[in-house]
Amino acid sequence: MKKLFFLPALAILGLLFIQGVTKSEPETKFISHEIAPDMPPQVKAIVEQKCYGCHNAESKNEKGKKKLDWDEFEASKKAKQMATKGKIVEALENGDMPPAKFLENKPEGKLTEGELATLMEWSAGKKKSPKE
Amino acid sequence: MKLGNLILIGLFLVFIGIQFVPTELPSVESNNPEDIIQSGIVNEEVAGILKTSCYSCHSNETNYPWYSYMAPSSWLVAKDVREGRKELNFSTWQENDMIKKLGYLDDISSVIDDESMPMGIYTLMHPSAKLTEEQRELIVAWAEDAMDLVVEEDEEDWEEEG
Repeated sequence: MKKLFFLPALAILGLLFIQGVTKSEPETKFISHEIAPDMPPQVKAIVEQKCYGCHNAESKNEKGKKKLDWDEFEASKKAKQMATKGKIVEALENGDMPPAKFLENKPEGKLTEGELATLMEWSAGKKKSPKE
Repeated sequence: MKLGNLILIGLFLVFIGIQFVPTELPSVESNNPEDIIQSGIVNEEVAGILKTSCYSCHSNETNYPWYSYMAPSSWLVAKDVREGRKELNFSTWQENDMIKKLGYLDDISSVIDDESMPMGIYTLMHPSAKLTEEQRELIVAWAEDAMDLVVEEDEEDWEEEG
């Protein structure tokens, strides 16, 4: 009788262990994508996880693709990237992104405070002389 | 016959009645020192197109047609001009910072390219505002180049300061 409990207990323990091991990996796995090579890795990771799903060249979300396409962003010229960053700041400041409607079905898509701050800092750019 | 007359008289009375609904057309201001045309990034050809196809809603120099003084068309004109100026006002161009200017130019390029501007209802009433394919290409190319100019200008400002 006691043996019957032992097996499932072992299985659960095993599962817990596997979960514990795999958890440390996926964060780094996502970063490999081809978004803007000069983008800081922590920004890239957030974009990849929270924005890229709708904002990419193959997106089925036409509006999202039209407003911002990260694949296009990478290839576009400096002035265009600056314009896009300006619009990102605006959208983030207004709390427009990710859209509330989208978050209803996917609450885990919400930006954490830290992520929001990282994205804002990057898109607002550092206020230093462009000569540097 | 009698019913037809009654309806006509009714419509006429309604028409007279709505003339008393207060509508305020956004005011016209012809002296705009901050206008984009004097900002140095617009050549004569582009300036001409902006004036004929965009300025009625996107500047303080609105040319109000006769029907804008008469309800109900006045309501629509007032709303479109109010919203147009709010979205982008070429008369106050220089009040925008560099990033804002870049955003506007980027938007101009895309709304002209995808033909969502000038609005259909506007070109219906103002056929001369309709853009030809060449004019669209010209505006898109201008907007793209102007973005670089705006960035350069800003960098020069930095150098002057530093």
